[in-house]
Amino acid sequence: MTKIGLEIHCQLTKLASKLFCSCKAEYRNAEPNSNICPVCAGIPGSLPLLNKKAVEKAAMISLALGCTIPEKIGFFRKNYFYPDLPKNFQITQYNAYGPTSIGSDGKIEIEGKTIRIRRIQLEEDPGRLVYEGTSEKTMITLVDYNRAGTPLVEIVTEPDFETPKQVRMFLNVLADLVENIGVSDPYLEGAMRVDGNISEGDGNRVEIKNVGSFRDVEKALHFEITRQQSLVERGIAVVAETRHWDDARRITVSSRSKEDEQDYRYLPEADIPIVLIGNRSIEQIKTQMPESIVAKRERYIKKYGMPTQVADVLSSDRFYSDLFDKSHNETNAKEVSNIITTDLMGLADTREKKLELKITPKHITDLADAIMANKLTRNSGKSALHEMVKTGKSLADVMSSLDLGHVSDASSIEKVIDEVFQEEEKAVAEAKQNPDTINYLVGKVMRKTKGKADPATTLEILRKKLAG
Amino acid sequence: MVEKKEIEHLADLVKVDLNEPEKYIKQVEQILNYFNKLDHVEFHSDDTLGIQIAKDDLRDDVNVPYQDSLIEHLKKDQNNFIRAPKMV
Amino acid sequence: MNLGISATEFVSQVKEGTISVEEFVAKTLERIDKVDKKIHAFITVDSQNALDKAKAIDKKIKSKEKTGVCFGMPISIKDNICTAGLKTTCASKMLENFVAPYDATVTSQLKSEDAIIIGKVNLDEFAMGSTTEFSSFGPTRNPWNTEYVPGGSSGGSGASVAALECLASLGSDTGGSVRSPASFCSVVGLKPTYGLISRYGLVSYANSIEQIGPVAKTVEDVAFLLNIISGHDPHDNTTAKNPKIDYVKDLATGISGKKIGIISQMTGDGVDKEVASATNTAISKLQDLGAQCVPISLDAVEHSIAAYYTIAAAEASSNLSRYDNLRYGFDFGTEGYEFKAFISKARSNFGPEVIRRMLLGAFVLSAGYYGKYYLKAQKVRTMIKAQLDEAFKKVDYLISPTMPVLPFKVGEKIDDPLKLYLTDINTVTANLSGIPAISVPFAMSSSGLPIGIQLFANSFKEKELLQVAHALQGTTTLPEITP
Repeated sequence: MTKIGLEIHCQLTKLASKLFCSCKAEYRNAEPNSNICPVCAGIPGSLPLLNKKAVEKAAMISLALGCTIPEKIGFFRKNYFYPDLPKNFQITQYNAYGPTSIGSDGKIEIEGKTIRIRRIQLEEDPGRLVYEGTSEKTMITLVDYNRAGTPLVEIVTEPDFETPKQVRMFLNVLADLVENIGVSDPYLEGAMRVDGNISEGDGNRVEIKNVGSFRDVEKALHFEITRQQSLVERGIAVVAETRHWDDARRITVSSRSKEDEQDYRYLPEADIPIVLIGNRSIEQIKTQMPESIVAKRERYIKKYGMPTQVADVLSSDRFYSDLFDKSHNETNAKEVSNIITTDLMGLADTREKKLELKITPKHITDLADAIMANKLTRNSGKSALHEMVKTGKSLADVMSSLDLGHVSDASSIEKVIDEVFQEEEKAVAEAKQNPDTINYLVGKVMRKTKGKADPATTLEILRKKLAG
Repeated sequence: MVEKKEIEHLADLVKVDLNEPEKYIKQVEQILNYFNKLDHVEFHSDDTLGIQIAKDDLRDDVNVPYQDSLIEHLKKDQNNFIRAPKMV
Repeated sequence: MNLGISATEFVSQVKEGTISVEEFVAKTLERIDKVDKKIHAFITVDSQNALDKAKAIDKKIKSKEKTGVCFGMPISIKDNICTAGLKTTCASKMLENFVAPYDATVTSQLKSEDAIIIGKVNLDEFAMGSTTEFSSFGPTRNPWNTEYVPGGSSGGSGASVAALECLASLGSDTGGSVRSPASFCSVVGLKPTYGLISRYGLVSYANSIEQIGPVAKTVEDVAFLLNIISGHDPHDNTTAKNPKIDYVKDLATGISGKKIGIISQMTGDGVDKEVASATNTAISKLQDLGAQCVPISLDAVEHSIAAYYTIAAAEASSNLSRYDNLRYGFDFGTEGYEFKAFISKARSNFGPEVIRRMLLGAFVLSAGYYGKYYLKAQKVRTMIKAQLDEAFKKVDYLISPTMPVLPFKVGEKIDDPLKLYLTDINTVTANLSGIPAISVPFAMSSSGLPIGIQLFANSFKEKELLQVAHALQGTTTLPEITP
């Protein structure tokens, strides 16, 4: 049997400042070493100042994953030399002596399978290394400390996964979860990084590191499982080691780096006092927690009778569920959920498109109400939506500029029908014989009115004329 | 007994080249023997001292850019990167 | 002009207009020029800037502008406390050209009160030592007899004040580093409660136990400096949020009716005869002033040296990791080196005592040994604090000699680290427990070497501690240093 455990590093990208200083948490696209100060660059004499919100957000992640939060948490130094660590130690949490990390002993259900969470800890991200030069002789490591000190939450699971697919599902749920809590944008490059450990049967455990993206996690795990199984089949024992995912060759490669056998010499970080969280604070954090995805889904189904699939899609995406919750009311919920899950999600089928949407809850409310009041056909509604997300203009503006108003007065429709009757003599004759072909004529009317004619009125007049 | 190999392992952990490892063996051993006193102390409490801070007294999450350009004070190349030796 | 006046006297004379700041600072610089070749208290002297500041302050006083309470008092700062624009070397080759890009909180507090930072003073490399012999730039010598050590690690602070090269100094005290030189140089030195003074800008050696502390000629001066540098600092999460206290006010309250515990473990065997006799004299003088002195036993003190050096070495090995010469440090190109070879070579520029403590620190933190050494050492701290809490239920203060020995000769103990460590037996207790302790100059040995008396109070009781120190100071008249 395959056993897989995960270590997930999740950046708290939604914070304004780093974990221990007031530099920006968002380091991407900045000039090299422009987002640094004495604290995150490890200048002698500087002292870390723990970010309150980082503690609260890490607590939220812990709660969302069913973990216990202790009354006191502490920080430790993990000592090892590496150029991306300005102090040559990383400030992290540790659960062996004294005060512990922000979360422990949690669990989460993924499709009926329980995944146990061993611990959750808050720590600082190291800087970023860039390699320059091609030949071994000229190779130089360039260091950019802009990322150093970015708040990270490390989530460590028990080896409860059996297949890469389960891992993938778990990671999707986790990504939605941190996005829902509002702590992280898991789709930003490098915001969520996964290391895995795999063993077959009673065999040795192999660590997989350096997996760049979510999609590659599944691939790396597949590769590693096949590799281990073929070793077992040939009667060769699996070596306990760390292997790196080679992105270019799509295989895992044994890493002979001594870094992985380091003695980290953990010791308490005395510059950060033990943080008293206390039961009252935990209760307070609970009340500030956004509604969980599961609870939201339940609410959508129970309160609005949403089909399970629609509720699933809507609840797991914080952006769309927020839009839904802000634009619907007792009467239009179904229409609003339809507009969002079919039309809007169709328009923004990539993440980039979603970020560009100039949509507000009012747009959706107005649109749903207009459709329900028969002022706009569903077809015209789609066109209006398209224009609104592109321009951000109000529904009224869009309707008038695109001439999308609903035509429902009988005389205007009758005039159009008369025109159609002249142009389509053959079809009219056929419809008189076989009423089932009437839809062809309805279509013609719609085309002539650019979809604005009220379908019910059109049908009624058509029937009358065909009969008369 | 502290051996040369052990001193060299410790030196590797803290990353110093020891010109004369022998020089340190006797002193480190003598001091560690003295530290062994700690092993014979009888303790009545497992508590450790340490100051505490209430979560609410921690730093607020506000971005305040460093007023100075720190990199100007550090060793850097023309692109403002820190140069480190090769890693392999 | 008398450079031997106290800082407090300097302030009143400047206010009265009997001396000008410029004149005093110029004379002080002359004095440094004359005596520091022999004493070597200073690593950096900031002459031109000091004179410019002095002129500016004189101008402020003349034009009746608001002037800071230091009125241009020349102060030296231990070279492990950051001063923007002025080198902070930690007496180490690793940082011989390092200029901190920012001021330590204490530095900016002094500057904003118009103190003049006249220079940076010597220490054992990264404050590791108790004689100032482990400076990479050569030892500091005791102004009372230059063949002797000035104590340490803040030897430059003690010597510069004693040799009249400044009016006061800031040192740092990790295991006695302010009190030892205060005792050996016949000046006053305070190790405040952990958390009373900001450590922001103090280059860490053993960050869970060290504090910046003032060194000056009188208890009044120490109280005066404490008023400026104490208090909560938003840059240091380990500083306490207590209401501001005026330490100068009521300094002469006296000690009538106070109870003082004589620590048995610090006054018995192993204490030099002359030191022991001076301690007894001090006790009887305090009794004459109305205090009641009783013996107190703190048996955890027996484990204090082992616990202190375990913790200090462990923290040092981690705190000194950042010196890899990549971001700052001496000139040493990376070309042709592999990472580990490069930093190991760069870091071999640490001196032998620093290397020794890093090796010890790596050992006690290694997997498998943590529980045997570091955790036990932490428990000793708890034990000492518990015994002190018990003691302070019975007495207001504790007393001992600051150092169990008289100042010894330069080079005498340099090759026997453990023997040197053991001389810290009376000072490390305050660091391990966090409580404040002060060394007050009390006597001179027959050979003309200073003896200091140490007084302790419970955490954040500096005001009371300074009162008893003031009382003790009043019972003795000591010789002034001959220029």
